[in-house]
Amino acid sequence: MNDFKRIVKLAKRLTFERMFSTRMYIMLPVLLLFIPGMAWGFSDPNIVLPGGHQPESAMEVLFYASLGVVFGATMCAVLLSYDGVSRERASGVLELRLSQPMSRAHQSIAMILGSWKAILIPTWLLLLVSVLVVRYRMGEWISLTDFLVYFSSTALILLWYVLFTLLASSYTREQGTAISFGVGMWFLFTFLWALITTMVAFASGVSIGQENDASWVMLEGALDLLSPNGVYHHLLETRLPQIDRGISSWQSWSMGLVWTIIPSWMFIRRMEKILP
Amino acid sequence: MEEVVLRLEGATYRHSVYAPLPLKPWRSIKGPGIFEANISLQKGTILGLVGPNGAGKTTLLRVMAGILPLQTGCVYSGSDDLMRTEQQLRQMVGHMPEQVRWQGRKTVRQALLELGEMRHASEKRIDKLLTLVGLTTRKDSALSELSQGMRQRLTLGVALLGSPKILLLDEPLNGLDPVGAAAFVALLKSLTEKGVSIVLSSHQVEGLIGIIDRLALMHRGHILAEGTLEGVAKSLKLDSKTEIKGTGSPPRFKKYGINPSQVHLEEKNGYWNALLEQAQPHLLTKLVNDGVEITEWSIRQPNVVEMLCAATGQSLEDVGLEVASSAYVPLRTFGGEEE
Repeated sequence: MNDFKRIVKLAKRLTFERMFSTRMYIMLPVLLLFIPGMAWGFSDPNIVLPGGHQPESAMEVLFYASLGVVFGATMCAVLLSYDGVSRERASGVLELRLSQPMSRAHQSIAMILGSWKAILIPTWLLLLVSVLVVRYRMGEWISLTDFLVYFSSTALILLWYVLFTLLASSYTREQGTAISFGVGMWFLFTFLWALITTMVAFASGVSIGQENDASWVMLEGALDLLSPNGVYHHLLETRLPQIDRGISSWQSWSMGLVWTIIPSWMFIRRMEKILP
Repeated sequence: MEEVVLRLEGATYRHSVYAPLPLKPWRSIKGPGIFEANISLQKGTILGLVGPNGAGKTTLLRVMAGILPLQTGCVYSGSDDLMRTEQQLRQMVGHMPEQVRWQGRKTVRQALLELGEMRHASEKRIDKLLTLVGLTTRKDSALSELSQGMRQRLTLGVALLGSPKILLLDEPLNGLDPVGAAAFVALLKSLTEKGVSIVLSSHQVEGLIGIIDRLALMHRGHILAEGTLEGVAKSLKLDSKTEIKGTGSPPRFKKYGINPSQVHLEEKNGYWNALLEQAQPHLLTKLVNDGVEITEWSIRQPNVVEMLCAATGQSLEDVGLEVASSAYVPLRTFGGEEE
């Protein structure tokens, strides 16, 4: 068996273990309400969004419904992975893993893939349900490109949260500290980022929250590249021509790549040096 | 001379200790660990690693298991085949850490299969191992349901996954009931007969005597002595001792030409107990002829604790209670927080 197959097999075991864990059963209703629930709500033909705006296309509805991913699925990713390393470290199982001849980098990749797939599979299934819901309510399919962008962007944001959480988990010895890191980071990017954007805008002399002010829109768009949630929305906005926040597609995808490569590299490096 | 399977030469690993300064809050310094350890492991033998808490036994085992990288020194497979990566080392070594707290809903078999993937262990091999460690009847039990003894057996099973040439066992007898411990020792003996070399670290030093073939005494990260029990005792210039127990009045040992400073005498409720620093094979006849009431008599080899005291040049209390250095060693504890 080659190393790739070993990684895949190990990841599969981890995915199975986490996907059918008690905490997944607890999170599943939340995901169900957030993802297909939002798709149902936003695809209502009579919906009027703040500012009197009405969604014009299926992809726009799914863009709004992606809030379910940002609020629900990312939190679920954090809760599924927060003890990915710390629990095994505390119990001594990590020492057993580290004493196996499989390279630590490969073990880390298996850990990333396993934890990622555990949240990705249910989220993708629910996104698929959302697509069907939107089709049922609006009578419109999204295009294949929209579909690919929507699903791959969602996969990426979940991967980023899994990576941050695993990284935090590898630095902590207590489960409580690990979960605090994960939830704190989720809180920062999900709720506090708006505050940071406001503060930067204030310091830069940009009028805050003025949607018609190009400098505010540009600043917000640029700062969003520094947040995984922001990059996720930028990626989805590449399929919404009516939205222009001064960030081109290649910039969004490049930042997506940066958010993927740097935390992955940091986690693998960390695991190569970790003490049991 | 027996075949050497693993040799450590000048092996050093020192733990990083956090020592912040006002202008360098991230500063860390090199702390305790192991210092220039030289040790040879012979084929089919059991080496007992003995030392007080914080002596560096676990660190040495982790270095030998390829978990901690060597900072200086070399590891040779056989007597002179240099091992360049920790991965090479991990290939030939099975490691059983101290008290793994298996938990979760995963079954025993699933846990073994998962770790077995990393060693290409087949399902057939896993089932064989379950039989070998006596967990066949519990193979479908959840890990959380296992007793401490069963957890130890499972950890041993994991250590044996890749049919290793060398087995490193850190406090393997902890948590085992006497019958389980006896079965465990029998299993270790059978493994050595198959050519497996074992390094066994334990603080239950007296229990080691019947198990080990060789002994390594560790203190403050140094290997102070290594060899057979007799060899180590001889190198430390320790003689056999005479232990006598009796009733009534204890004899005056000076009368038999024994220096009183070499006699440790205790009296209690009409019984007495004397420990003579040297072997006195002819003393028994003389005492009996003089009408001294003897209930027990033995000439014994110096025990491991005595050897450790002799090797460190410290008293029993000093060796046993000096654990300050171990507080700096990052241990697997729940109170440890971030390293």
